[in-house]
Amino acid sequence: MTVAQFELSAYSWVDTGTSSAPDVRKERIGTEAKIASEHEIRASLSQHLARLWRYGVVLSRQRDVADDLVQATCVRALERAGQFTSGTRLDRWLFSILHSIWLNEVRSRRIRMGNGFVDADVTLTFDGEQETETHVLANQVLRQVNELPEAQRTAVFLAYVEGLSYREVAEVLNVPIGTVMSRLAAARAKLAENASREMVAMRTKGGN
Amino acid sequence: MSDLKRHDMPSDELLVAFLDGELEGAERAWIEALIKTDDAVTARYEFLSRSEMPFYDAFEPLLENAPASDLEAILAGLPSPIAAEPRARRWNRRGFIAAAIGLIFVGAAADRAYLGLKDSSNESDGSEWRSVVAEYLTLYTPETLANIASDARSQSEQLRSVGDKLGLALTIQAISLPDIPLKRAQVLQYDGKPLGQIAYLDPANGPLALCIVQSSRGTSEPRVEKRYGMNIVFWSDQAHGYMLVGHNPVDQLSGLAEHVRTALKA
Repeated sequence: MTVAQFELSAYSWVDTGTSSAPDVRKERIGTEAKIASEHEIRASLSQHLARLWRYGVVLSRQRDVADDLVQATCVRALERAGQFTSGTRLDRWLFSILHSIWLNEVRSRRIRMGNGFVDADVTLTFDGEQETETHVLANQVLRQVNELPEAQRTAVFLAYVEGLSYREVAEVLNVPIGTVMSRLAAARAKLAENASREMVAMRTKGGN
Repeated sequence: MSDLKRHDMPSDELLVAFLDGELEGAERAWIEALIKTDDAVTARYEFLSRSEMPFYDAFEPLLENAPASDLEAILAGLPSPIAAEPRARRWNRRGFIAAAIGLIFVGAAADRAYLGLKDSSNESDGSEWRSVVAEYLTLYTPETLANIASDARSQSEQLRSVGDKLGLALTIQAISLPDIPLKRAQVLQYDGKPLGQIAYLDPANGPLALCIVQSSRGTSEPRVEKRYGMNIVFWSDQAHGYMLVGHNPVDQLSGLAEHVRTALKA
């Protein structure tokens, strides 16, 4: 599978003004446009919990911290329900809330406390019970993404896993779009380097 | 073509953006042409393309690993404008701990989030405030109340202040519970109106609270309900709604409620 298949179009940002969106998308936007109250935010939140948690794991590389991030994100989202702009994607909004909590509250706090971060290979890989080919490949991908510096890891996750457009990634991370581009370029250069090394290693093994 | 020569090596950023389908129009056409015609660009593009991986699929199992029911419980346990759903809203212990830790993150915003709920559309049965109060109390541990200095004089002052807000004469004598020490009386607010919380620490069952709001719903006899794993006895008189909430068994709590109710009437 290639990156291009990651439903980029299905996730891409839609301005309410320029509506060349396919019907399905319009329908979805139409549904979210009605979201106005805390009550409705709550109902929608429940659909995004697992994805928020996953983003929390990617950021913190720790399950329990991810739990807390989701919790704090829910509290904040309900508290700020009135600030959600109808017609925009709720999941993007939630991602940006979670990210700012991580950046401004959790991460800074942990660093101040001097806890540092545990190595989280444990969290980002799957148990080896069934070492199927799929698992091996998935673990390779996870391991390599996990080894990227946080800023690059986050951009890769949002763009290639969550399928956000560059502009959306920039908005979630609250950075200029050029910053997103350089993070993704740096990440891809690193991942490409890994892939090249593996190719060489395989060749050295004698075409096994 | 002479134009292209001037920029014969586009940045990695542009090549990656091309790879990601983020370029449009002239820029896209320019990069596409360079990749086809310039060996150095072709090589760099091919190198960067090696970074393509099944990112989406690789991260998919993490969604399945998410503690879905815990997260649901956390969300369900957060205060809501629509109360009266005691069914799925009990916090399990893990959810509670996560919430307690989470509250450290939201810091001062917590009280607002918990008690600053504004809602006018769901006044249907007048039970919302009990739900919010019960939930708030789930955050209390014995330690929350244990270290509060509780001399009779400051408690009397607290009670007077709470009573003033509520338009109610509160004395230590009236709100004392047999064998359960009074710890603190304070004014909170619910829906923009004062809410008196009188907290006790039962050595056997942990935090216990008598909460009072102004209410014009008329008199009602004590009834019992359960919210967030705690028992509640609630009643009202002409001007106020009352609830006694705690982990105490229903029978004991009912007895204590009767004690307070009689004392307040006197």
